[in-house]
Amino acid sequence: MTVIVAGAGIVGSACAYFLGQAGAQVHLLDASAPAAEASGAADGAVSVASKRPGPLMTAALSGIALYRELEESGPLSGLFHRRSTFIVAASEDEQKVLETHATALADAGVVITAIAGDDIPRRFPALSRAASLIIEVQGEGHAIGYQVVHRLIAASGATVHRSTPVTRLVPDRSGTRLAGVETPAGFLGADAVVLATGNGSSALLGLADVLTPRKGQLLITERDPALNAAMPGSIMSGRYLLSKGSQKTASAAPAPAGPARGFGLVIDPLRTGQFLIGGTREDHGNKQETDLSAVSRILADAVALVPDLARLRLLRSFAGARAAVRDGLPLVGRLPGLSNAVVATGFEGDGICLGPVMGRAVARLLLDKEPGLDLAPFAPNRFQSSGDAA
Amino acid sequence: MPDITPDTLNLTPDVLIIGGGPAGMSVAIECARAGLVVTLVEQRPRLGGAIFRQPVNGVAPLALAAGPERLKARLFKDFAAQVARIHCVYGALFAGLDADGLAIVEDRQTSRVLPFRPRALVLATGAVEAVLPRPGWTLPGVTTAGGLQVLMKETGRAPQGRVVLAGSGPLLLALAAQLIRLGRPPLAVLEAGDPIRRPGASLALLAHPSLVSEAASYLATIALARVPWHRGAQFERIDPCDQALIVTWRDHKGHLASLAADHVSLHDGLAPNNFGLPAEARGGVKSSAGNPLVIRVGDCREALGAAAAVAGGEATGRNLAAHLLTGGEVIAAEATLARHRSAQHHIARAFAPRRGQELATQLPDDTVICRCEGRTLADLKKLVAESPGLSARELKLNGRFAMGACQGRFCASNAARLLGELSHSADQVPVSALTGQRWPLRPVSIAALAAAVADAPQPGSSTKDDKDIR
Ligand SMILES: Cc1cc2nc3c(=O)[nH]c(=O)nc-3n(C[C@H](O)[C@H](O)[C@H](O)COP(=O)(O)OP(=O)(O)OC[C@H]3O[C@@H](n4cnc5c(N)ncnc54)[C@H](O)[C@@H]3O)c2cc1C
Ligand SMILES: Cc1cc2nc3c(=O)[nH]c(=O)nc-3n(C[C@H](O)[C@H](O)[C@H](O)COP(=O)(O)OP(=O)(O)OC[C@H]3O[C@@H](n4cnc5c(N)ncnc54)[C@H](O)[C@@H]3O)c2cc1C
Repeated sequence: MTVIVAGAGIVGSACAYFLGQAGAQVHLLDASAPAAEASGAADGAVSVASKRPGPLMTAALSGIALYRELEESGPLSGLFHRRSTFIVAASEDEQKVLETHATALADAGVVITAIAGDDIPRRFPALSRAASLIIEVQGEGHAIGYQVVHRLIAASGATVHRSTPVTRLVPDRSGTRLAGVETPAGFLGADAVVLATGNGSSALLGLADVLTPRKGQLLITERDPALNAAMPGSIMSGRYLLSKGSQKTASAAPAPAGPARGFGLVIDPLRTGQFLIGGTREDHGNKQETDLSAVSRILADAVALVPDLARLRLLRSFAGARAAVRDGLPLVGRLPGLSNAVVATGFEGDGICLGPVMGRAVARLLLDKEPGLDLAPFAPNRFQSSGDAA
Repeated sequence: MPDITPDTLNLTPDVLIIGGGPAGMSVAIECARAGLVVTLVEQRPRLGGAIFRQPVNGVAPLALAAGPERLKARLFKDFAAQVARIHCVYGALFAGLDADGLAIVEDRQTSRVLPFRPRALVLATGAVEAVLPRPGWTLPGVTTAGGLQVLMKETGRAPQGRVVLAGSGPLLLALAAQLIRLGRPPLAVLEAGDPIRRPGASLALLAHPSLVSEAASYLATIALARVPWHRGAQFERIDPCDQALIVTWRDHKGHLASLAADHVSLHDGLAPNNFGLPAEARGGVKSSAGNPLVIRVGDCREALGAAAAVAGGEATGRNLAAHLLTGGEVIAAEATLARHRSAQHHIARAFAPRRGQELATQLPDDTVICRCEGRTLADLKKLVAESPGLSARELKLNGRFAMGACQGRFCASNAARLLGELSHSADQVPVSALTGQRWPLRPVSIAALAAAVADAPQPGSSTKDDKDIR
């Protein structure tokens, strides 16, 4: 079987890997190059810490389990860094929301530990004294998107076509299957086609009303092995839950000038000794660039939680665009009316965690096997009734 | 020199100039003459740039050749006449232009981030040395020729011990002459090219008498001090030995030769210092975010030397002032530069390395390419072999080339060149594909950034409603 996988992000690469394992001949096409978009501009939390019970949490839990397996069995060895996520509350409001959230996590079977009082400085010496409660979410980890992409492609045996955008899907005469795809280099035929084209899917499938780019800005510091060692895992500010969750309790932060954007705070100690700090959620503006106003605010928040970060220097800032679906759930499944074409996009802020497990599900779908994951909530045709052409 | 550290600072000047070398100073002079509000930011404590760098307090400046000395005298005199109208911020580093059009400057004197919103941003950041990787080039005691020169210009002293200068280009001769004048002649100058055997190119230089007389003065100094100038020398490696460094090269006949030294200074020519700098936007293009007009002058636009930096800076400064005061297009000072460009072209030809320079085949595989992350040629070759068609960005992300603290200053151009060689691509791999155009272009203090935001002027602020800080 010959399969065209369009999009060499983490989802397309994982799909190519699992198809290759099953003996398929894979052509992996990318408009620019592997990990050129979201997968190369992400924080790599492989995590359920901020999730609510539901289909996404279920998928994310299988996602984490698959990372462990791939790390142990080979293809991702050394690339999945196991560590806990620590959600930190630094005010009464945050503490209240965090307690509720912790209960929900525990009910969903996630292993958590509450840390309070004197245990906070003992477990997490780098943390500010303002921290009043920490929920440690165990069994999570971190993976760097572009490393995973690189490794999976190398192991897939796929033929990589860089700078080769799919410009059109070409149906066969029956109209119920795709014959292949059109590219600037000409027509390329295949037995099946996977669209893992991230934000590029909007133009290909006419999804402009359903799928929108949501920008995030991220920061990388210089190395500080000592401070790094004083952080046993990544921290997530409880304020993130506040703004994501019950709006009523959200403290009225002064509105920034310009279009509204969301700020969360995650500080991840990388294995290089550096720190990755993020980030924003923005629906406006240039998707590649970063601005002082956001960077300054993120760093001020970060220093408030980990005061010693103030003595480091910022090495890099960058931005990427998540592909966000209107209802917050990804689009994964067969394209309506086309039996040999599958789409997998819309993973917003979870695609690093979900990439391998979704790539495997899609590969299995094409191979007529059980996807290993309930894909019903992610059905691409769920917007059709509202007139959208998915 | 004016050592004004202003206690109030206008964050919305008409013109913000980055770099206090000949190019930046010339633009500042012309814009100030025209009555514009000018701020000049210089990372070092003094004006002068790479060629006219001023020594630190109490040290006599190094003598220059006659031509550059005259240029320097005129430049500093003109600058002094306008100094009251030019705000100079020393010890401050331009860190880039952000998405909102703010020119971000880190003032390391006060540990603050200064968010400027000028009408025009003039980049005059000069040149950087190209230094090719060589076995042993990361050993202690090995520096760049420019690094050694900065040290000498700022302290007025040469380093203790034996010095070997190696690489290619006229700067090695200038540096040798300076060492001799300080009473510490280098052991030898190893030159990969052979200007004397390229008479065509060398003769063409006769059309540029000021360059010829400058070169002649260096050569006379070197000959008088009996410092050997080994032309056509193919550098092999540097090895540590006891407390010293053994430098090994092949002479023009192919015989191995070596020398023991305490310092080795490397240099392989100059290239524009445009790492991560925002692209030029001339002719009054303004984005909706109110981005400033961005103009490059001097060596950071095209490495043509100090006289070209002054000529181009003056022409661009006048042009820019006319544009800001009355409208009209800002055009590059092309006519002024043509002559300098032809001179540099002949110099480059004269000093062209005698042997073809396929780095990938010449260097041993364990040669370090990226000094910050310790990545070798073997690492690079392995990546390219694993992934045919590898893009520069993939090389960066997966090979960590240009990812370290120097942000690619040392390795980006070499890594791009090697990628081009190894993938046998006809097109050159652009260095910017590895370095990008994102701020900060140098590491910036997190404490200063975290405190910065309240200070930022909004788009549309003008010089009229000055926002003074500090
Ligand atoms: C700032 C930020 C932080 C994030 N943090 C996390 C995190 O901590 N944890 C987590 O799990 N997730 C995170 N994510 C989300 C994650 O990065 C994405 O969900 C994931 O990378 C999506 O992978 P993808 O393969 O679907 O898309 P992409 O990586 O965007 O890949 C799509 C590819 O398709 C190519 N393409 C597009 N159009 C075409 C076409 N017509 N033809 C051919 N190729 C095409 C593109 O060039 C691109 O390479 C973050 C994202 C951002 C932006
Ligand atoms: C190492 C070196 C040695 C040289 N030696 C000689 C010589 O001996 N003889 C000769 O004729 N020519 C020499 N040249 C060439 C000569 O210096 C240039 O042709 C000339 O100085 C160009 O002037 P400029 O104004 O364009 O740049 P420069 O004179 O290089 O001035 C650039 C200025 O910008 C500042 N700067 C750079 N980046 C930033 C930033 N991000 N923020 C704030 N400030 C910044 C620098 O500190 C510098 O002062 C040398 C060049 C180099 C790089």
